[in-house]
Amino acid sequence: MMDVMNKLKILSDAAKYDVSCSSSGSNRKNTNKGLGNASVSGICHSWSDDGRCISLLKILMTNYCIYDCDYCVNRSSNDLPRATFTPEEIIDLTINFYKRNYIEGLFLSSAVFKSPNHTMELLLKVVQTLREKENFNGYIHIKGIPGADKEIIDKVGMYVDRISINIELPSEEGLKLLAPQKNKDSILKPMGQIKSGIIQSIDDRKKFRFSPKFVPAGQTTQLIVGATGDNDLKILRLSEGLYNSYDLKRVYYSAFIPVSTSPNLPVLKSPPLVRENRLYQADWLLRFYGFSANELLNEDKPDFDLALDPKCDWAIQNISLFPVEINKADYHTLIRVPGIGVKSAYKIIQARRFRSIDFMDLKKLGIVLKRAQYFITCNGKHYGIKSMDSEKIRKTLVYGNQINSGHEQLSLFDKVSIEDRFIQIGGQI
Amino acid sequence: MIHYIYDGSFDGLLTAIYEAYYRREELDDIVPIDSMEENFLIQRIYIDTDTEKSKKVYEAIENKISKEALRRITYAYLSELPRHGIDILKYVQLGFKIGPQVDLNLSNDIVLKIDNIRYKVTMEQHRLLGLVRFRELKNGIFYASLEPDFNIVVLLAPHFAARLANENWVIHDVKRGIGVFYNKEEWIVKDIQIYDSLIVKEEEEEYQELWQTYFKSIAIESKVNPVLQRRYMPARYWKHLIEK
Repeated sequence: MMDVMNKLKILSDAAKYDVSCSSSGSNRKNTNKGLGNASVSGICHSWSDDGRCISLLKILMTNYCIYDCDYCVNRSSNDLPRATFTPEEIIDLTINFYKRNYIEGLFLSSAVFKSPNHTMELLLKVVQTLREKENFNGYIHIKGIPGADKEIIDKVGMYVDRISINIELPSEEGLKLLAPQKNKDSILKPMGQIKSGIIQSIDDRKKFRFSPKFVPAGQTTQLIVGATGDNDLKILRLSEGLYNSYDLKRVYYSAFIPVSTSPNLPVLKSPPLVRENRLYQADWLLRFYGFSANELLNEDKPDFDLALDPKCDWAIQNISLFPVEINKADYHTLIRVPGIGVKSAYKIIQARRFRSIDFMDLKKLGIVLKRAQYFITCNGKHYGIKSMDSEKIRKTLVYGNQINSGHEQLSLFDKVSIEDRFIQIGGQI
Repeated sequence: MIHYIYDGSFDGLLTAIYEAYYRREELDDIVPIDSMEENFLIQRIYIDTDTEKSKKVYEAIENKISKEALRRITYAYLSELPRHGIDILKYVQLGFKIGPQVDLNLSNDIVLKIDNIRYKVTMEQHRLLGLVRFRELKNGIFYASLEPDFNIVVLLAPHFAARLANENWVIHDVKRGIGVFYNKEEWIVKDIQIYDSLIVKEEEEEYQELWQTYFKSIAIESKVNPVLQRRYMPARYWKHLIEK
């Protein structure tokens, strides 16, 4: 018998490439003096050495897999230590971690063990016991196994807060090449079913207040960036479709980390982290800033500028829409200004109701002018720029104010990209 | 320069605000007794806490300004930042002039300052909801120690009372010598003696090791980023964590 410590090491290591960590979107209450509740905004409990938020106990039930997908570390042909948790072990870890406030809940995933249905049944047993026997009301995120029957997924949905089914490869060609045992249908069909289940449950709750919630925090998915030749436009259009047609809460992007030397995979020196960050920023623009994929990219320019964030990139391509007058522009126009996010726009709108505001006021409100200064006026005045020449603005944004020798340009450029790695996802874009 | 000196309680602060109105004195600051500064120019006036006066101020703020204003004043008080006393007085004066709309007036320096303090205190509160670490003691009590920048244990209590409803727990602010105690029914804030040595339950260390193992193995080596980690989880909080 392998001890729990070793299993935890193996099965959390195997789960770490799933980037989702969110514990938000559910307001499950603690009933009958049970253990735990969910916080709508989500809570991070720690940050691992790679700077990612740790919110949930993220583990696989098992990493024994019948599939052999090239891009995946758990593929059956990969020689690595394997382990399987018993349901009791998972429950004990979850409860004891939760009581010590290490975690917000459980994110349980699994490799495909024996069959999709068999795996899904085992996951069901864990969540059913946690909810019904242990009276656990903390957050639970379950991975839907592509190919599992609707009946089992429906049952799981009654116990959990969130389900995700990972698309991973953003095109059919990609799937055929790297994961021939999966297909588009086995992924999209259950996503459609979960969507209907959620709509059904919301309807039912309008009629019968106490009918149970089904996946109250919605569903999410993950796309791997850089394992296939798919460009940013293709990925972003897919995300847009998932938000619009499948009501997804989030699409996560994961820079591909080479975990095998299969000839089907690209050779990468390091994971494309800046590209991953650009996609997250663009994703934010789709969900909160009213942009569409086709505004940000097109067939002539299908990939993001790695040196500029997508909003700056867009603004420079559409320089005729600028400058924007801070004292007049409406909310939707303000949030399209580079450097002005949702919060800043609200602050501006509130503050200018009392009197017109100038650049000093913007600074006092905590609005960062680093990028915004090139795209706005306050009472008709520019902030120290002489023309709206898009090429000049782009250069200043990328290289800073002085353009000197070629050597320094290069180092400044490097500085931009490293800094970009640290841009906070969800901050003011 | 007149300083009002109060006993450090929230009621004391509100009494001082009452007196400032009643006496119409030009104040330089309102200061809790344990953080008085030595300065020859300061004229100190000691304010006796009077719960009837403080209640009047409390209700006036709630009714004439807003519940939100009351919340902001509480947060500014808990921040214990330099000059928060006089800032609160100015904010209250402005609030009585403008009414419920006061907080929208962000181009006003004092409104903005109170808003920034609210933001900082809320940030730390939210951060610590995640960073509190309980250890299970031999007697079954879950004990957590911390040293927050602001005096926020009182803001953490309702969250854990709902979440760990069926446990006995203590959250100990070591820096201020106070703690929240919860007994499966209700919570209170009390002064707390420093425990010489807390005896933990046998399996406690096992779970701590499991957590440390998990913490290590969940990080992706090729993405290691200590700068980002520190930005989210500043090093001053590490002392009371188990994983760092």
